[in-house]
Amino acid sequence: MAIDQVHDLQAVYRELLHSMSRPGSISFIQETVERAGHNLPCYDATFICAMTLLDAEVTFHILSKNNQDLIEKISEYTLASYAPASEADFIIILREDTEAEIIDCMEQCKIGNLIDPQKSSTWIIESTPLSNERGRLLSGPGIKTTSTLKASFTEALWQTRNECTKEYPLGIDMIFTDEKAQLVCVPRTTKIEMTEVD
Amino acid sequence: MKTKTQFAFFDEGSKKEIRRAILKAVCIPGYQVPFASREMPIARGWGTGGLQITLSIIGKSDVLKVIDQGADESVNAVSIKKLVHSTTGVELVERTQDATIIQSRHRIPEVPLTKEQILVLQVPEPEPLRKVEAREFMTKILHSENDYSGAWLMLFEQIMKYGRTATGADHPVYVNNRYVMAPSPIPRFDNPKMHQSEALILLGAGREKKIYAIPPFTDVESLAFDDYPFTVESFEGKHCHLCGATDVFLDELADNQTGESLFQCNDTSYCMDRLNAVEKVEVEGSYV
Repeated sequence: MAIDQVHDLQAVYRELLHSMSRPGSISFIQETVERAGHNLPCYDATFICAMTLLDAEVTFHILSKNNQDLIEKISEYTLASYAPASEADFIIILREDTEAEIIDCMEQCKIGNLIDPQKSSTWIIESTPLSNERGRLLSGPGIKTTSTLKASFTEALWQTRNECTKEYPLGIDMIFTDEKAQLVCVPRTTKIEMTEVD
Repeated sequence: MKTKTQFAFFDEGSKKEIRRAILKAVCIPGYQVPFASREMPIARGWGTGGLQITLSIIGKSDVLKVIDQGADESVNAVSIKKLVHSTTGVELVERTQDATIIQSRHRIPEVPLTKEQILVLQVPEPEPLRKVEAREFMTKILHSENDYSGAWLMLFEQIMKYGRTATGADHPVYVNNRYVMAPSPIPRFDNPKMHQSEALILLGAGREKKIYAIPPFTDVESLAFDDYPFTVESFEGKHCHLCGATDVFLDELADNQTGESLFQCNDTSYCMDRLNAVEKVEVEGSYV
């Protein structure tokens, strides 16, 4: 069964909005993902997020090489066009991407400018199963006191992310997805404690 | 031939563009994200910004409440409700607690909002610096440079003229210690409700083509000087003549016969709820 472009994507968007306004809070889009049933080299949740946010007005970048098929699929489904990392509005990171590649990409992606901080890239990142048990300590707008998040980001990756967002309001906003169709967001306003909490 | 309208009026492309703007607005609290405001079946300046947000986020299972200056039954609220209902079929309610999306013009409901709710505010003038700087590209520079002397000067001039800050509504606020924002013309009484709010607050200005947001649990501080602290409208010693509520925002009405001032809850559904509760107790008490 195919997904419903109107109602399913609206439901996913609301989950995204919920997670983005409450960094660290995990949303489930299982129902929509089950209906999707695409056979793609990425998590269904990643593809559904792309379907929800992308259209002909924006550009995207997929970091991993040899993924012409996925690029074509996303372009065909959403009409968004592919662009280099330094210009893309959305950057999609797959499980296979290495730390060094991601850091390199983060250093050249769009972080907006002081006049137009919204002209920055949004990242859709595939992670190992997301959980709120142990992990990084998050704080900032949208979080009452603190929240914890366990994602597959390494120390170095968080550090590079913090570099990207240190000149607030400039920065990048991130959406993590996993194979269990979970979503979690980390906007630029979120402060991330560098030591992991046990 | 009468074609069926698309769910929630908009085509999917329009929704996506507005949705992306809302996400960026949430990521940069208080910053006005430009968006391509659509032509709506109501005139710009009549809540099209709020309406566009509502239509872009609403789903079949949502429950909608629309208020205009606290009232559920005034023209603006009723026409917006009718439009949303006829294109989505969602349930409409008046009780604040029952709604998942609350679109409002110029008030934040008296009942505290919860984390399951989204408050959508209609904004006529999103730019807090517009009175001191008419040019949009200049105000954008002022925001980028965190230069809010204009907003402070406005308040200072009011103190010089009237001995206190005299903003009737739309008293500017600092969001997340970075952006000065117009909270839409809500009375000062409602400003503190934005601070560390449980609910997500989205603000839309259709005519000015801007969307901005306050995520939950975000610092929202009303601009004030140390020696002239921020104060809300005081209704000390006054109460609603219908339900007797005291710590709420009251409207002042004049009694035609006596010429005396009467006070009444501005939030009609809150007042109605209280009256119904009293009536329920009375009925239960008299039933033997």
